[in-house]
Amino acid sequence: MKGLLLAALVLGGCAPVHVAPYERGYLARPGMAFDAGLGTGRAMEKIHPSKEAASGGGSVGGGGCGCN
Amino acid sequence: MRAILLACLLGCGDAWALEAGAPMPPLAAPALDDAAQPVSLAATRGDVVYVDFWASWCGPCKISMPVLEAMQQKYGKRGFRVIGVNKDVSVADARRFLRQVPVGFTLVHDGGDKLARAFDVKAMPSGYLVDRRGVVRYVHRGFTSESEAALQREVSSLLEEAP
Repeated sequence: MKGLLLAALVLGGCAPVHVAPYERGYLARPGMAFDAGLGTGRAMEKIHPSKEAASGGGSVGGGGCGCN
Repeated sequence: MRAILLACLLGCGDAWALEAGAPMPPLAAPALDDAAQPVSLAATRGDVVYVDFWASWCGPCKISMPVLEAMQQKYGKRGFRVIGVNKDVSVADARRFLRQVPVGFTLVHDGGDKLARAFDVKAMPSGYLVDRRGVVRYVHRGFTSESEAALQREVSSLLEEAP
């Protein structure tokens, strides 16, 4: 029982970091976006193959129906 | 022992939230335009109160704020009060939002998250409609045109109730 209690206490620390809905102001800032909306995402996609000496893998083929 | 174990396991997530039927937490927060002036929620007892958590970065708040302003003007004389609890980190962001969407109801700033934690806000915007006896009767999470119609119905029915 003691071991179980210890496990519960320790595993409690594994709870994911929880961002409350009212704390999302930081995430809503433009600087927090993956793509700033200035075509930076497309520019990164273009540069990435030359940096990595490989292309593809940036997206998944198919229409998203999961049937191919 | 089992209770402690259960509490530890449940501690992983916060399942508790302020729902209809609970008393409104009797808290106070500084006014948005004057931090030195506290606004007490307990002082609203006897009125039908809508406590609305909003922020400048919250999309649906652009819809809810003008609706709440119109409702405050429509039902204000009958004892309806809106208290807007701002959740912006910077008050300047809130002021910028209010220049675009001006409102006349009471606004407070919840910088330390004391109010948001007491109400356990689960979505933005979140609105808590409190009756004249200080009991939360309806909770609105998010805001759509349906919320507007429901809120109109709920407010007019609560205003009919005796304190």
